[in-house]
Amino acid sequence: MVFNEGKRYFVDRRVIDRMSATGSATFASYFARLRGDLQNEVEQFINAFTINETYFYREDQQLRCLTSDLLDERVRSKKRGQPIRIWSAPCSTGEEPFSIAIWILENWRQADAHDIEIVGSDIDTKVLEAAREGIFGKRALMRLTPVLIEKYFVAIDPERWRIVQSLRESILLTSVNLVEASQTRAHGKFDVIFCRNVLIYFDDASRRMAAENLYENLEPGGYICLGHTESMSRISPLFEVCRFADAIVYRKPLSDGHG
Amino acid sequence: MADDRKRVLVVDDASLVRLYYRKALEDAGFDVAEALNGLEALEILVAGPVDLLIVDINMPRMDGVTFLKTLRRKELPLASIPALVTSTEGAAQDFAAARAAGANFYLTKPVSQAKLIEFSSLLCGRPR
Repeated sequence: MVFNEGKRYFVDRRVIDRMSATGSATFASYFARLRGDLQNEVEQFINAFTINETYFYREDQQLRCLTSDLLDERVRSKKRGQPIRIWSAPCSTGEEPFSIAIWILENWRQADAHDIEIVGSDIDTKVLEAAREGIFGKRALMRLTPVLIEKYFVAIDPERWRIVQSLRESILLTSVNLVEASQTRAHGKFDVIFCRNVLIYFDDASRRMAAENLYENLEPGGYICLGHTESMSRISPLFEVCRFADAIVYRKPLSDGHG
Repeated sequence: MADDRKRVLVVDDASLVRLYYRKALEDAGFDVAEALNGLEALEILVAGPVDLLIVDINMPRMDGVTFLKTLRRKELPLASIPALVTSTEGAAQDFAAARAAGANFYLTKPVSQAKLIEFSSLLCGRPR
């Protein structure tokens, strides 16, 4: 694993978590514990970094919510021929936008009745390159059934699979910085935005700014899905909280009355 | 064996719709080619006929009705390729327009994968 300067916060955050989990008052005392591998700390430490690696069908209750409630809801306000737009931001190496596409193809009865545009965006151009390649290891595919893997991937060696070309071509991948309004606006309006497990890494000011930008990127009545430990209510009062059978999501009010 | 496989050309501007149909058709043993609109479909057919066309109506550059009209004026065997139209347009005049243009059957979207296979098989003379 390589963490560049851009991942400093990611690294800090995990080291601090492990320090507090082990009751280490200083970094020096934690480091001593790590070097001595006390109570399997090395493994715990590694897990803290890898547990947040993304994979296909992660938090699938939100995907279920997408096809059982959100899309049907959005379709009702569409004129015929208007596309449904879904944004995965950040999309990292592509697991999320590709999961959304596969999930819809497998689970939404109206999949052929609408033009669905899925856009995946990330600030990191390296992960976007990887997403464009669309090559994934076992770990990324662990939640997919063999039938789905067979259907949507081509094995390139015993450890790696490449997502089928037509699926790669169905997803638009772009770079975006969520706190830069000029960049987010260029992406247009969406019906559903997946913005999972990223705002927690922002400071308060950038988190608010990103939330405001995302609000602007939503159609009135459009939905935003955060990670299951995140709460939009704590970040911004702009959104309404909506409870569906499978997930809690946030919605831009129909009447655009800013706050 | 491979020669028995029927070849289907899916003509639809929405990439996920093409993929949705492709997966259903491939699972059922068809070979699948794709075109984004009528013009592209005509170009693909120049290289050789297929056993079945699945054609959307609303498409940019050349819509499904224009495509079918153009195709039916071509020489055989192109002119006689069976065409299954799938469209969100569900009014009687839409059916009539497609039939007049040369559609063999019309299904209103959403079309389940099972139904797509049922009608595709029938139209290429491979009843199941």
